[in-house]
Amino acid sequence: MIEAHRLTKRYGPRTVVDGMTFTVQPGRVTGFLGPNGAGKSTTMRMTVGLDRPHGGTVTVNGAPYARHRAPLAEVGVLLDAKAVHPGRSARAHLRALAATHGISNARVDEVIDLAGLTSVAHQRAGRFSLGMGQRLGIAAALLGDPATLILDEPVNGLDPEGVLWVRTLLRSLAAEGRTVFLSSHLMSEMALTADHLVVVGRGRVVADAPVADIVARAGTSAVRVRTPETARLADALTRDPALRVVSTAADTLEVSGADAPTIAAAAAGAGVVLHELAPVQASLEDAYLQLTGGEVEYRAAAPDATAHARPTSGAHR
Amino acid sequence: MTTAAVTRTTVQPVTFRRLVTSEHVKMRSLRSTWWALAVAVAFFPLFSAMRTSSMVAVAADASPEYLVGPVYVTSGLALAQLVLCGLAVVTITAEYRTGQVRSTLTAAPTRLPALGAKLLVVVVTALATGLVGVLVGWAAAAPTLGAARMTVDLTQAEHLRLMFGVPLYLAAITAFAFGVGAILRSSAAGIASVLGLVFVVEPAFSYVPWAPLQQIATYLPTAAGSRLISSDTMGSVIAGSQSTTLSAWQGYGVLLAWAAAALLVAAVLLRRRDA
Ligand SMILES: Nc1ncnc2c1ncn2[C@@H]1O[C@H](COP(=O)(O)OP(=O)(O)OP(=O)(O)O)[C@@H](O)[C@H]1O
Ligand SMILES: [Mg+2]
Repeated sequence: MIEAHRLTKRYGPRTVVDGMTFTVQPGRVTGFLGPNGAGKSTTMRMTVGLDRPHGGTVTVNGAPYARHRAPLAEVGVLLDAKAVHPGRSARAHLRALAATHGISNARVDEVIDLAGLTSVAHQRAGRFSLGMGQRLGIAAALLGDPATLILDEPVNGLDPEGVLWVRTLLRSLAAEGRTVFLSSHLMSEMALTADHLVVVGRGRVVADAPVADIVARAGTSAVRVRTPETARLADALTRDPALRVVSTAADTLEVSGADAPTIAAAAAGAGVVLHELAPVQASLEDAYLQLTGGEVEYRAAAPDATAHARPTSGAHR
Repeated sequence: MTTAAVTRTTVQPVTFRRLVTSEHVKMRSLRSTWWALAVAVAFFPLFSAMRTSSMVAVAADASPEYLVGPVYVTSGLALAQLVLCGLAVVTITAEYRTGQVRSTLTAAPTRLPALGAKLLVVVVTALATGLVGVLVGWAAAAPTLGAARMTVDLTQAEHLRLMFGVPLYLAAITAFAFGVGAILRSSAAGIASVLGLVFVVEPAFSYVPWAPLQQIATYLPTAAGSRLISSDTMGSVIAGSQSTTLSAWQGYGVLLAWAAAALLVAAVLLRRRDA
């Protein structure tokens, strides 16, 4: 369990974590989402005592991280930045870490195997590819068989097999009753892995709810209509200025601002035959973009990217 | 693949002993450590053999106070100390450069024991290297010592001090260098500061012919510390200052105080700063 209470961090004049309060419960996977620079990595570093908060507290399994006598058994952490001397082999790195907690060499080999690094364990970590380095970081996090896992973008750089491995691993660790807290920018992956989400923007918590609730809150974003007479239907629908119609294929329109019955009635009125009329459920990505639309700090300049960050005014997927 | 909980892992509390073991593993598992130590040791036989045999031809004309065997046998120290100081600095600064420090401090979040463990490993390494260096240097000079009209006689207090003062001096100066590295957190800055002190600042103080400056020079780290390994008649191989204001052990005490001060500042900063 991770409990953050009014956690605050400043770098110079900038407050990058601004009074965050949230609880990460055991027994489920909690995703940590937020735009670049929202303060996710900083929060994770403060949780394991690497950065000192300017205010507030954060505890892991009931105590500040530094109070635990065997911290690696409490928390396994993978940070966003490299945390390995490149001149040391993967095995030596893990053995040094294991030695601090009297963890056996057998366990070191076990996590090496678990992470799929057995064949390269003797190689210097500096030669590792991005994904191999990531696997080494995950192996280190698992070393002490911790009750809580904190992983900052764990699938970053992993191949599809690795992504699947992390997903099943994290789900099974949570099923064992452990606390799993991970950040990622891959919404589709997060939708598959996480049960619960803490969404932050500009250092503040903007949502803390189950994934299903967050997606449901985003609502049905559009209705997909298939018809051979798209032009006539679009004309009929756009008489109502509240409706927005986007053509997504030669015979398909996506309509937002109206529900299916309204669209069916309009079609009937215009004498247009419909082949399909289906509400499109918002994706986690849509929900996320709606939640954080106002919180994005580093927005791409291209106009279509801007539209993307404000999904209500643009095309839906 | 399976999950992490295949077997229940035994995990024990972090203790200083375990941290020392960990730092020892870290030290041993870097190839650069072994290179540095090999080079540091190699300077001893190299210089000792060279300088002793260079005395063979002139020994007959030299006055006996310039024929102090241990001074020649340990003359590799001047360069060995630079290598070991460099190693001491890099041992700590590389943690920051590579990000390894994040792993180190998550395993030891109380921080100071981790610094202490690393210091201990560095100091013991320097001590052992100095001891090996002195013995190897002695062995390398042995064939020519007699011809150069010199002896190394460990029953003489001065010879004993000159020989075994070398590992002690190296232990103290590397502790100081380690402290400087821990304060600056940058390899370049750390090495430049330590070398700058030894090669620029200390000589500058001692060569400027102005008494107050020379007084201060006596108390600078290598000048003071090298009193321990200075022959009463020949002086030291490493320090510019030839002042004898401080006795051998007083001088060594001053060097220890420098090391303690640097380490204290490093400890305070380690507690305060973000990693
Ligand atoms: N050591 C530091 N010194 C100064 N500023 C920092 C430091 N670390 C982070 N920041 C700033 O704090 C803010 C939050 O950074 P953080 O890395 O926590 O964001 P994040 O949510 O993890 O972003 P991302 O999604 O890009 O990983 C950023 O604006 C960053 O520039
Ligand atoms: Mg981050």
